Amino acid sequence: MSLLKTNAITMQFGGLTAVNELSLAIDKGEIVAVIGPNGAGKTTAFNMITGVYKPTKGNIQFNDQDITGLKPHLITKQGMARTFQNIRLFKDLSVEDNIFIAQHLHLKANLYQAMFRLPGYQKEEKLILEKVFFLLEKVGLADLSREKASSLPYGLQRKLEIARALATDPQLLLLDEPAAGMNPKETEDLTRFIRQIRDEFDLTILLIEHHMQVVMDISNRIYVLDYGVTIAEGTPVEIQNNERVIQAYLGVDEDA
Amino acid sequence: MKMNQKKRNLILNLAAILVLFLFLMYANSNFSSYNIRILNLCAIYAILGMSMNLINGFTGLFSLGHAGFMAVGAYTTALLTMSPAVKEQNYFLEPIAAPLANLNAPFLVAILVGGFLSAVVAFIIGAPALRLRGDYLAIATLGFSEIIRIVITNTQSITNGALGLKSIPTTTNLWWSFGAALVTLYMMFAIVNSSYGKAFKAIREDEIAAESMGIDLFKHKVLAFVIGAFFAGVGGGLLASLQGAVNPLMFRFVLTFNVVLIVVLGGMGSMSGSVISAFVVTSGLETLRVLDEAIRIGPINLPGVSGLRMVVFSTMLMIVVIFFQNGLMGTTELSWQRLIDFFRKRFPKREVPSE
Repeated sequence: MSLLKTNAITMQFGGLTAVNELSLAIDKGEIVAVIGPNGAGKTTAFNMITGVYKPTKGNIQFNDQDITGLKPHLITKQGMARTFQNIRLFKDLSVEDNIFIAQHLHLKANLYQAMFRLPGYQKEEKLILEKVFFLLEKVGLADLSREKASSLPYGLQRKLEIARALATDPQLLLLDEPAAGMNPKETEDLTRFIRQIRDEFDLTILLIEHHMQVVMDISNRIYVLDYGVTIAEGTPVEIQNNERVIQAYLGVDEDA
Repeated sequence: MKMNQKKRNLILNLAAILVLFLFLMYANSNFSSYNIRILNLCAIYAILGMSMNLINGFTGLFSLGHAGFMAVGAYTTALLTMSPAVKEQNYFLEPIAAPLANLNAPFLVAILVGGFLSAVVAFIIGAPALRLRGDYLAIATLGFSEIIRIVITNTQSITNGALGLKSIPTTTNLWWSFGAALVTLYMMFAIVNSSYGKAFKAIREDEIAAESMGIDLFKHKVLAFVIGAFFAGVGGGLLASLQGAVNPLMFRFVLTFNVVLIVVLGGMGSMSGSVISAFVVTSGLETLRVLDEAIRIGPINLPGVSGLRMVVFSTMLMIVVIFFQNGLMGTTELSWQRLIDFFRKRFPKREVPSE
């Protein structure tokens, strides 16, 4: 049974078709990558799935429920979290608060209880803080909990963003180019980290990535987009040997 | 360690309140009525500054509707505290609408109802306006604030129109204004430090990220807007009762501008900054009144230029915006820990020479 299923979703901006009839099916526990040249419509697909855009056509099923056109915060509440291509942390807030805020959606206490710190809220806040430190420990940021998010080095900002997404309690995690701008050492670290959180948090992961080593190493299956059209789908080995993919994206060896 | 810090802060807070109490008692019996009035204004502007800071500084909504919310609070308080006889004197052009004539409530109830009605108005305005962002929101809220003023000017039988209301019982004194300011300060800190306050800050930092972390943008924006309007209404009520008279012209854009000045000078996103700058700006505007009058320096006689003090203050605002973009406090808060650290750095403990 698929956790996420998109049925021929299409996104048109005026005359431009950014994504054309994309049909993804992702099973529980899988790591699936979406690859393709720049402008292929990968991020647009992410934005449709997470509710930033409403698809022009088609529908999206998550956990057997239709989530097409739902607001982003409601989709997150159903168990889907994402990171952004160009890191969007709450820059001026502390590392700790960044993760605290990501748990606000599950808060049951109302404003009145929260303001006057009534027992119900205090109990919840204690659990929230415990989880904040659990997650910070996991990503190795516990010592930096009081630092401003923007003061962290790039690699750690990426990790904090993933930790923040984890704090919303997702079943499906969408990572938009997690390895962008990382050096080989950091990339290797990240690959290990993604696998580790998949196992530990019982996650399903959908990622966009340009770094082929990461993609081939980590993914169970790969979708290839080009100009909004899905040109191939399969295991890393199948994709590497696919004629069309090589032509459109991976590149042809001229000497061969 | 942490427990001790909490205890220490509590003791210091209580001590500070006690000092304030003693100061107010002294001021009440020794200050001239002019100075007492300025102190009252300072406290009321502190409330207004904090309420606007919650909306503009903490949630990042650029709203310019404060004068409108204050007007709602001021008129409600006035109508609820004036006696039927005084109302009859006021409404000589057109008699007051029937249910309002005999309406009367104690002062505390009156300002709370004023705040509540102002919050209701904010909710009605917020529902459409908060879908807008940035400059558009500023223009929309400014427009709504003017609409409120025009409605007040033209509902003769309810608000007495352009004539305004006079002989409002002047209940506001130092105890009321500083009491309300303290309660507001406490509530604001309670909100800002709670999970809801953090959600507000997240919206200020990055709306898209906040939404994708599951925060209901619309709900939280409306919440901040309505809470801010409530306290603006309370501030308006206190102001009406301090001045003993209200009229629609009091609630023009200049009033909102004064509050914006306080918030920007104090630091967008710092409640303590707003309080400090409310005192600086309000007392500053009063002391600078000298500039509006004729000045004599020896044999030279400069004629008074009315409005010169506003020029000086606007220049100050420009300087702050250009050179100190974060205002006095930025987004940090004044805390005991910060003060202690500051003094420790300034006056390091001298080594006691051992025998």
